[in-house]
Amino acid sequence: MAAVLGLIIGVVVGIFVRPDIPVFLQPYLPIMVVAALDALLGAARAYFQRSFSDKVFVISFFTNVITATLLVVLGNQLGVGSQLQTAVIVVLGIRIFSNVSAIRRFIFRG
Amino acid sequence: MAMRKPEADDTLSRMHRQHAKDKENDRVETGSFPVVARKPKRTSSLDANRNKARLITNVFVVLLCAMLGYGYVIQLNNTRSAYETMSEEELTRLISETSNQIQQQEQRRDELQEQLNSLQEASDKQQEAQRIAEQNEQTSGILSGRLPAEGEGVTIRVTHGSIEAVDAATMFSLIEELRNAGAEVIAINDVRVITQTYIADGENGLICDGQTLSSPYVIKAIGDSQNLQNAVNIAGGVGSRLKVKFGAEVDVTSSDLVKIDEVASVPQYRYAKTVE
Repeated sequence: MAAVLGLIIGVVVGIFVRPDIPVFLQPYLPIMVVAALDALLGAARAYFQRSFSDKVFVISFFTNVITATLLVVLGNQLGVGSQLQTAVIVVLGIRIFSNVSAIRRFIFRG
Repeated sequence: MAMRKPEADDTLSRMHRQHAKDKENDRVETGSFPVVARKPKRTSSLDANRNKARLITNVFVVLLCAMLGYGYVIQLNNTRSAYETMSEEELTRLISETSNQIQQQEQRRDELQEQLNSLQEASDKQQEAQRIAEQNEQTSGILSGRLPAEGEGVTIRVTHGSIEAVDAATMFSLIEELRNAGAEVIAINDVRVITQTYIADGENGLICDGQTLSSPYVIKAIGDSQNLQNAVNIAGGVGSRLKVKFGAEVDVTSSDLVKIDEVASVPQYRYAKTVE
């Protein structure tokens, strides 16, 4: 409930307020969004498994985002930024898919 | 003894107490356990702490989800400026690709320009050729008698000779005189005079290109009217011969506009071929 409310608030604020994203942050914003999405879906899965914990969600959210961003930063410094970015996106995508399939199983098994 | 005394004294009260106890025990239901008292409730301060913690985490969840949605929307609006998110390597690659493309396009443009130039040249040449051909067609059309012509010239009227019929040789020499004088187009009666034109004597008069000419013969010639007039009227010329020898009347009228509508059919050449 709180998550959906927060999403709606964020989207509305994002639509009406459009700040200039600092240039150094711009390459990492899509990675951050995908990582956060993964965290959110993991939390949804945990909710369906009745093992949801607020603290775990908050921590996993931040660690996901920060880890993904740091990986890409590291990749940029090593000169393999785009490849590592692809790797991070792929891994997060796989996780998102597995989370979604777990949620689907919970929903349809009843 | 001293001990016993109070005991004895107390017998009654002891019995009394015993009785009360018995009564109490009688009232206790056997087989049931005494109710275990509940744990005392947590203190209110701890409860408040827990609620507060839950509230804070909820707020965190809302905040994080809001951040996610916010970032999502920002990124949606941000994808338009795709170049800013590219790395240096990608940008240089992009630049080199673009410049490569530009070079190719320029090369292609040069080729096309060349083609266009050659085509224009060819079309110019063709136009020039067409212009010359048109000119040729005009002049050769007039020359071969294919086209009607008009212009300054003279009209010569020769009546049937009163002494003798005008013969072909004289008529031919009249035409030759006109040609010498610069006549460009000549026609006798209804016959256009061209290079192949012949004049022969027939039973009923002159025959010109297969047509019998009837007198009076009307000869139209386009050219310098003064010259033509002189050519006919010159002393000892063909005009005077016609008058003296044949007794014909020769009437030369110069005009600014002599119109020759007669045309000759173009001969089909059987032997002559153009040299390529």
